[in-house]
Amino acid sequence: MIELRRLSFAYDDSTPPVLHEADLTVTEGELLLVAGRTGTGKSTLLGSFTGLVPTFTGGLLTGDVVIDGRSVLADPPRERAHLVGYVGQDPSAGFVTDTVEEELAYGMEQLGTPPSTMRRRVEETLDLLGIADLRARDLRTLSGGQQQRVAIGSVLTMHPRVLVLDEPTSALDPTAAEEVLATLTRLVQDVGLGVVVAEHRLERVLPFADRMVLLDGAGGLLVGSPDELMRDSPVAPPIVELGRWADWEPLPLAVRDARRRASGLRSTLGHAPAASRAAGPVLLEAHGVRVGYGRILAVRDVSVGLHAGQVTALMGRNGSGKSSLLWALQGSRARAAGSVAVAGDDPAKVSAQERRRLAGLVPQTPADLLYLDTVEDELAAADRDSDRRPGHARSLLDQLAPDVPGRAHPRDLSEGQRLALVLAIVLSSDPPVVLLDEPTRGLDYPGKAALARILQGFADAGRAVLVSSHDVEFVAQVADRVVVLAEGEVVSSGPTARVVAESPAFAPQVLKVLGHGWLTVPQVEDAVREQLA
Amino acid sequence: MTTLSAAPARVPIRLRSAAVLTVASAAGLLMFCWPLLVRHPGDGQAQPPFFFIALLPVVILVVLAELSEGGIDSRALAMLGVLTAINAVMRGVSAGLGGFELVFFLLILAGRVFGPGFGFVLGCTSLFASALLTGGVGPWLPYQMLGSAWVGMGAGLLPRRLHGRREIAVLVGYGVLAAYAYGLLLNMSSWPFALGVSLPGHTGSVAFVPGDPLSGNLRRFWLYTLVTSTGSFDTGRAITNGLALVVLGPAVLTTLRRAVRRASITRVD
Amino acid sequence: MPRPSRDLHPGAWWLWALGLAAAATATTNPLLLVLLVAVTGFVVAMRRSDQPWSGSFRLYLLIGAVIVLVRVAFRAVLGGEATGQVLLDLPFVGLPGWASGVRLLGPITVDSVLAGFYDGLRLATIVICVGAANALANPKRLLKSMPPALYEIGTAVVVAVSVLPQLSDSLRRVRAARRLRGVPGGRIARLRGVVVPVMEDALERSMALAAGMDARGYGRSGELTRRQRRTTGVLMLTGLLGICVGTYGLLDGTAPRWLGPPLLAGGAALALLGFVSAGRRVQRTRYRPDRWAPPELLVALCGVAVAAGMYAVVGRDYTLVHPGIPGTPGVTLVSVLVVLVGVVPAFVAPPAPVTARAVAEEPPRRVAA
Repeated sequence: MIELRRLSFAYDDSTPPVLHEADLTVTEGELLLVAGRTGTGKSTLLGSFTGLVPTFTGGLLTGDVVIDGRSVLADPPRERAHLVGYVGQDPSAGFVTDTVEEELAYGMEQLGTPPSTMRRRVEETLDLLGIADLRARDLRTLSGGQQQRVAIGSVLTMHPRVLVLDEPTSALDPTAAEEVLATLTRLVQDVGLGVVVAEHRLERVLPFADRMVLLDGAGGLLVGSPDELMRDSPVAPPIVELGRWADWEPLPLAVRDARRRASGLRSTLGHAPAASRAAGPVLLEAHGVRVGYGRILAVRDVSVGLHAGQVTALMGRNGSGKSSLLWALQGSRARAAGSVAVAGDDPAKVSAQERRRLAGLVPQTPADLLYLDTVEDELAAADRDSDRRPGHARSLLDQLAPDVPGRAHPRDLSEGQRLALVLAIVLSSDPPVVLLDEPTRGLDYPGKAALARILQGFADAGRAVLVSSHDVEFVAQVADRVVVLAEGEVVSSGPTARVVAESPAFAPQVLKVLGHGWLTVPQVEDAVREQLA
Repeated sequence: MTTLSAAPARVPIRLRSAAVLTVASAAGLLMFCWPLLVRHPGDGQAQPPFFFIALLPVVILVVLAELSEGGIDSRALAMLGVLTAINAVMRGVSAGLGGFELVFFLLILAGRVFGPGFGFVLGCTSLFASALLTGGVGPWLPYQMLGSAWVGMGAGLLPRRLHGRREIAVLVGYGVLAAYAYGLLLNMSSWPFALGVSLPGHTGSVAFVPGDPLSGNLRRFWLYTLVTSTGSFDTGRAITNGLALVVLGPAVLTTLRRAVRRASITRVD
Repeated sequence: MPRPSRDLHPGAWWLWALGLAAAATATTNPLLLVLLVAVTGFVVAMRRSDQPWSGSFRLYLLIGAVIVLVRVAFRAVLGGEATGQVLLDLPFVGLPGWASGVRLLGPITVDSVLAGFYDGLRLATIVICVGAANALANPKRLLKSMPPALYEIGTAVVVAVSVLPQLSDSLRRVRAARRLRGVPGGRIARLRGVVVPVMEDALERSMALAAGMDARGYGRSGELTRRQRRTTGVLMLTGLLGICVGTYGLLDGTAPRWLGPPLLAGGAALALLGFVSAGRRVQRTRYRPDRWAPPELLVALCGVAVAAGMYAVVGRDYTLVHPGIPGTPGVTLVSVLVVLVGVVPAFVAPPAPVTARAVAEEPPRRVAA
């Protein structure tokens, strides 16, 4: 029904093509998952459906896009709006009006729909998405999951044939992500919509996907059913990796299938060994920390200790106070009560320059720190600010992410490179404690594995690392201890294996399948290899 | 394979729009400088034409309608919205600290990067949005809108082929000039409102005398404006805008130009 | 039974306020002007909502008072010659050199004070009337009720208003992030470190917004024929020319009669026609359009009636509306009634809706956590 025929796209003649002779057909009533490593062209593929590529991105596009037998290649996005609906990563960036109801009606207003039809469709969509009670709410007061559903609703009211979503769950915590995905599956099954989803966190979407598209990075597409493609895919969730390693046929895509297959493996494995990383001396000591925003208390009486050589993860729902706690520990945000000591000093009481030497923090939007025109300038500024010899920050960056061009503008770098740059800047003052706020947004599996290795490297070098994340797989890979926050209070704290087993929302896939404290696939692989040896 | 490239994020000015802008600017100028033109032979009292407060908005609205007649591209629109917001905030922040006014800094830079049409529209929308923000739409607003719009448009008409320090120097010069010219024009239009209208034949004050020869009125006006605002507000405005252009101009110009570059399209069929 | 409350169409309130302001321009009789201010204040008190913008009326009253004071002060200091009873005998201050011929200060007389007061009061009344419109009309609905020809501009302002909270969030985040880099040397670097990330962030969001708007069909303009577009252009251009020439003709009393008000009115009409014609290409519909119900019409008519009535009174009785300086001003029953017509909207317009403090079921989404 919507076809891409021999589609090729390149930004200009000098760069390699992003898409090369791609052929793809999307029919109604199916959920199509688009996957691939970062930079392989997922957004470009999605953009070609809507027309945002090349109208918004520039570049050369050849081939054809056909909807219902009619070529729409020359049509700009606004002419395809009633056929293809597009929802981007950040729903709040796309809101044009103030309230939910008006946002739902906006698209229809642009299409010139009669008011009575608009009223009817708004009601239908409110019911379909389960947001009828949010009708008159201000868009800014909604939670992330609600905003995403309103964004979906605002394109749904135009009755498109295909819905295209670019990483819809990247900014959401696990429960909100499940709400959105449940909504999407209901749309596919009940309404018969075609849905195309690009996602990094495949573990969330794979069980629901009817078909899958894998981008190989050289411009080619592999189209097929998920279990076929997952056999050789460079990006795979832990269950699939486990299945590939254990040679399970056919590959399990959901926890339920994997559990059935895993009984044999479970009996051979037994219980997981305890964590082997020894804890060094306490580097950061916090007691009874309280942080408030006006009358709201974001963090209540939290006490935490960070040991050298350990990576601690901070988990919790969006809004549970993780960021506030991190900033309070670093000292840049004032505490209402409580004490924090890093090597004996209270970071809140020293100057900003001194604070950098005690604890370094990488904020949620790393790009907020970057203000100069080239990577070289940023590194040079970091060297000056930390009183180090020139080239110090550059060597740090090369260890974290090789081949970052010096003349590039910082905002033109990829997510992973930007994160590495900011890490290098923060580390240039050599703090013993490193804090990171949600660093995994926008990273694919290999990128997250690389980040996990980097953080473990910091810990091995004797630093204490605290990472806040709601990516359970990442936490399972990297963390020795986990602290769970809810409503600003610590509800659970301890070794990773114990804490993540306490709640299904925080349990990684391997744990759900194998139980007994097994967290990651490499852990299982190492254990079996030792058994055989 | 045909290649199309379109100028992005601009409000294009065609011949017709240019004509409309010129005529409207002439009308606006007349409405600003009306004290110098009024001539009522034999009349006693000359009434200040209050209905200009209603007529000037009509002129502005017609020009805006003409500039957006072909539709404004969504990228230009989003850019316009964001820059309006930043401008409105800057105006709101600096209005409270008398003499320290940052109104024109971003307006001039945006006019330079995006062209005179964009600059004109940005001037109007910035003032309007800032009036909405501070809760105040007053009868002086149409004059301020037109004045700012001219500043933005003028910045877009500066010679294109300037780079680096020379560009900044020219922009600073233009900014200082614009600050004083804006102050002068606003004072001219409000001069009789502030001081009242003298009876013809009664010279010796700084108030406006209808029917007097141009030189006489101009001299009086010059004194009035010197005393009231040129010395204080206008100079303050000129200094702060000049400083801001020197300090932040290069960085902001780079940022805006990057945005333009990213949004440029080449379409291939 | 209480009347159902709703927001009146903002255009109605503006027409009413502008009518009252027009009436104020016609007179310098302080009694009538004070009555106008009272009428305005009464309507605002009766019909304003509890939204943030409604509190601005008090500010306008203050501005009005300041205008009167400034006017009186200027008259006294820079007024020069004056006749009548002397209040305060200050010496003349001559200016040297080329500015000679102009004298500052001088005796302050009752006449000059009163003249300044009357004029200032008129200006203040106009400002207060406009302020009443501000306080009563919902600015968001005003933006949405923009005529089709200005749809894009209106959307830009709407985008600006909705971007503002994001900007302040962005500013807060960036300033917090600055502290993570220590304190770089120089205020310039510090300023740059705040301005550049905020602007980059804002521009990136604007591109995302533009993509979202495009993908939702923004910018679909209907195909107008060349003839229609040419009509629009011709109408607007000739209308503006008419306004231009008419303005000059009006100001210059020595010009022939037909060059003044008739040309001005004709030009304005043509320009407005062109404006309407430009809106024809727009194909958008409105979800919940603001309708002009009888209350709106009545409110607007009241404003027009007050203005028309005042000008009629001016035609008949000049000294009433422009009282001579010495002597007390008087009023007639007719003029008072004309002004009191402006009070009718206080009873005719529906009461403004009171917003219940919306209690969010979930904690508000914060960007930081």
